[in-house]
Amino acid sequence: METFDIVVIGAGPGGYPAAIRAAQLGASVAIVEKEQLGGTCLNWGCIPTKALIAASDVFAKIKHAAAFGITVKDATVDYAAMIGHKNKVVSQLQGGIKHLLTANGVKQFAGTAAFKDRNTIEITAKDGVTLIGAKKTIIATGSTSAVPGFIPQHERVVESRAFLEITKLPETLIVLGGGFIGCELACMAAQLGVKVTVVELLEDILLLLDPDVRREVRAQMEKNLGIRVLTGKALADIKADAQGVTGKCGEEILKADLLLSAVGRKPVTGALKLENAGLKTNERGFIEVDDYGRTKVAAIFAIGDVTGKTQLAHYATSQGVVAAENACGRKPHKNETLVPNVIFTVPEVGTVGLSEDDAKKQGRAVVTGKFRFGGLGRALAVNETAGFVKWIADAATDQLLGAAAVGAHATELVAEAALAIRSELTVQELGRTIHAHPTFGEAWMEAAHAVHGDCLHAPPKLKR
Amino acid sequence: MATPIIMPKFGQMTEESAIVEWLKKEGDTIAKGDILFTVETDKSVMDVESFEAGTLLKIAVKPGVSVPVQSTVGFLGKPGEAIPEITAPAPAAPKPGAQASVPARPEKTDKRASLEAGAPVVSTAPIAPPPQAPATPSLFRISPRAAALAKHSVIDATRIKGTGPEGRVVEKDVRNYLQQHGYDKLRISPAAKELAAKEKLDVLAIQGTGEAGRISVADVQRAIAEQPKPMSKMRQIIGQRLTQSVVTAPHFYVTVEVDMTGLVAFRAQLKEKGLPYTVTDFISQAVVLTLKEFPEANSSTDGKTTRWNSRVHLGVAVSLEQGLVVPVIRNADELTLGELNTRAKELADKARAGRLAPDEMSGSTFTISNMGMLDVENFTAIINTGEAAILAVSSAIRKPVVRDDKIVIRSIMKITLSSDHRIIDGALAAKFANAVKQKLEDIELWKLLTS
Repeated sequence: METFDIVVIGAGPGGYPAAIRAAQLGASVAIVEKEQLGGTCLNWGCIPTKALIAASDVFAKIKHAAAFGITVKDATVDYAAMIGHKNKVVSQLQGGIKHLLTANGVKQFAGTAAFKDRNTIEITAKDGVTLIGAKKTIIATGSTSAVPGFIPQHERVVESRAFLEITKLPETLIVLGGGFIGCELACMAAQLGVKVTVVELLEDILLLLDPDVRREVRAQMEKNLGIRVLTGKALADIKADAQGVTGKCGEEILKADLLLSAVGRKPVTGALKLENAGLKTNERGFIEVDDYGRTKVAAIFAIGDVTGKTQLAHYATSQGVVAAENACGRKPHKNETLVPNVIFTVPEVGTVGLSEDDAKKQGRAVVTGKFRFGGLGRALAVNETAGFVKWIADAATDQLLGAAAVGAHATELVAEAALAIRSELTVQELGRTIHAHPTFGEAWMEAAHAVHGDCLHAPPKLKR
Repeated sequence: MATPIIMPKFGQMTEESAIVEWLKKEGDTIAKGDILFTVETDKSVMDVESFEAGTLLKIAVKPGVSVPVQSTVGFLGKPGEAIPEITAPAPAAPKPGAQASVPARPEKTDKRASLEAGAPVVSTAPIAPPPQAPATPSLFRISPRAAALAKHSVIDATRIKGTGPEGRVVEKDVRNYLQQHGYDKLRISPAAKELAAKEKLDVLAIQGTGEAGRISVADVQRAIAEQPKPMSKMRQIIGQRLTQSVVTAPHFYVTVEVDMTGLVAFRAQLKEKGLPYTVTDFISQAVVLTLKEFPEANSSTDGKTTRWNSRVHLGVAVSLEQGLVVPVIRNADELTLGELNTRAKELADKARAGRLAPDEMSGSTFTISNMGMLDVENFTAIINTGEAAILAVSSAIRKPVVRDDKIVIRSIMKITLSSDHRIIDGALAAKFANAVKQKLEDIELWKLLTS
């Protein structure tokens, strides 16, 4: 039996960086993957959706090109070709990961991993069973779409992964669930001409966002993209047949060609046989870890979605690097706590740190500063004036606590805010930092001035 | 010129002492090692010897007057030598009626004075450590520019030694201090610095845990959490009283095991009959009865006199979230078991609600501290000041014991009597503890008391 210093289970955005980092630190490393390198993120999540959303953005830009004096006639969508573009991107990135793992000497096993005991992993593949020894194991098995029992099993009912496989867009689409996955795909489909209805049980879509931010997103989704957003309502009596899907939403019967279920994700631990390693999942099915990525068993670490913390690829990557370094005996350090959150709706959203609501709940004196893109020369020039950025700061110490951007390029803009907040900068310092003109980034500087009420490019607030 | 005789400092905590008796008169010739006077401290009476020979020129402090330690209490020298006048105020405020008290004079000055006078050098009474510079701290002086720099740097300027006039801290001192303490290498996040400035912390005293020792907001928050916080008045008073008791009353402890098996069963029977007596009630009753047999245990002493209390006012310590209170069952010796139960419950409820009247929390003559509900094997309690003893009651625990040469399982409860050895001797404490034990184990007694 071959024994490795580190065995990583799962080659998603948490697992493969953990394997590479451990190999960089001189460990002998194996990685086990039951499906495709890159995990959900690369194959059925972040990357393929961004490829499709980019395509739909191009189509939307073409339709609005007249504002720039460009006339494009007869622009049409070949969705199958868009899927082809997506698949090409995915396969190129898969190749990249494979190359990186190999170049770093990480031994790759295809198959499903299970614990035989704390230090032995059993890999089951089509062609047989392999046992490998693991001095330390990093569990990175991720999550999968949770599909509630009341949703019928039918080809007209899909979750996000199956949705990305269809090669012909429906004319009408019901999206069940107003979280970021549902909203992103709703925007993508709507930009390509699909009539979309989003049904959310809770009082609003994207509830993690501050009210002013989600109001901006919802207004644009409804007004610009024509998406129907029904909130505070359940979708009941869902029926699917060859003619389509129907569901009862309040008094109304909704009909569509396709139903996308995007109501949440659940951890993947079923095949692991955790009990053989003396591990248990918590009541929500997640593997609990401490700040250092350690499970209750000393030789086993866990990272990513399966740990039930922030379920985002970049957080999994960060956790993976931390766990690998800790597992390799580096001076233990904790997981990062500041995780930017990006949503590729139309308009995009990027947030990081505390929301205004959360900061207030901590009992702090909170001040905010907002600057709308409409006040930026660049935004006007490129005809992307909707949206704003906002700082959330501590009134007592001037510390930047949180930031939100909504509008064009918000997902890129949030990087600056993340760096500023992690560095514990004050509003004043951010405001004094020179931002290049003309860029969208200037909005952060202006919003910082706005916190102190001395914004140059906004009229003074009325004195009360 | 005469040299002063100094009131020595006998303990770290001693701030004032009184002379009990002068053993020499003015004009007596003193040999080195002669006992000059005796001093009463918090704990004892001590002899004070002269470390030099000479004539006792002046007794400045009369017996019975409390004066701050390091004060001058008299003068020694050659007959006919001038006695310095005493004008400076005493460093500690004298007690009322202590007008005769004599202020301290720094020894140095006097020594120098005698040298200057050309008189033979006669050392001062060196029992005391050399008197320090005046006890009041000198004023902290800092220039505005230095203060501004210290504030901007978020450091504690009072740690800086000033080189300006009268020890004034000037800008140069702050700069040197910053350099010496590696301020240029200090790494701190901007928000952390703001927070430290707001909380008036010294950033040089904060340990950074970020990359390369960078001080983060979390580090400053840790430093804030570690700042000394004032104790609640209640805790301060508890602390003062307990300290006073431990310091003045010599405690000793006697533990006996009480077999509670019978009483536990009997109590269960009573409970079924609707008589909800607590274990504390039985212990209270047993203690009250025992105090009648051993009146010394219901006494108090000031170290010179003892006073017997004809009544039993029983303190029963109750643990609250904010601290400890001891409600007092007045005239407990007059109450029946049922009345004890009712009164104890009333007081405990009031205590938990924070509504005890002052006279319900004072005047106890004996105290019981029951930790039985806290699952403890044994503990000792500190005597309430002014009382002779306290009984610490631990949990009744089922354990194997030997009865008639057989090992049986019984509910055993340890009780520990803390006694003030000034009033109570070992044998008495042992008898007292065993008398309580016998009563608790005597089911016939409880049948009588509850019938």
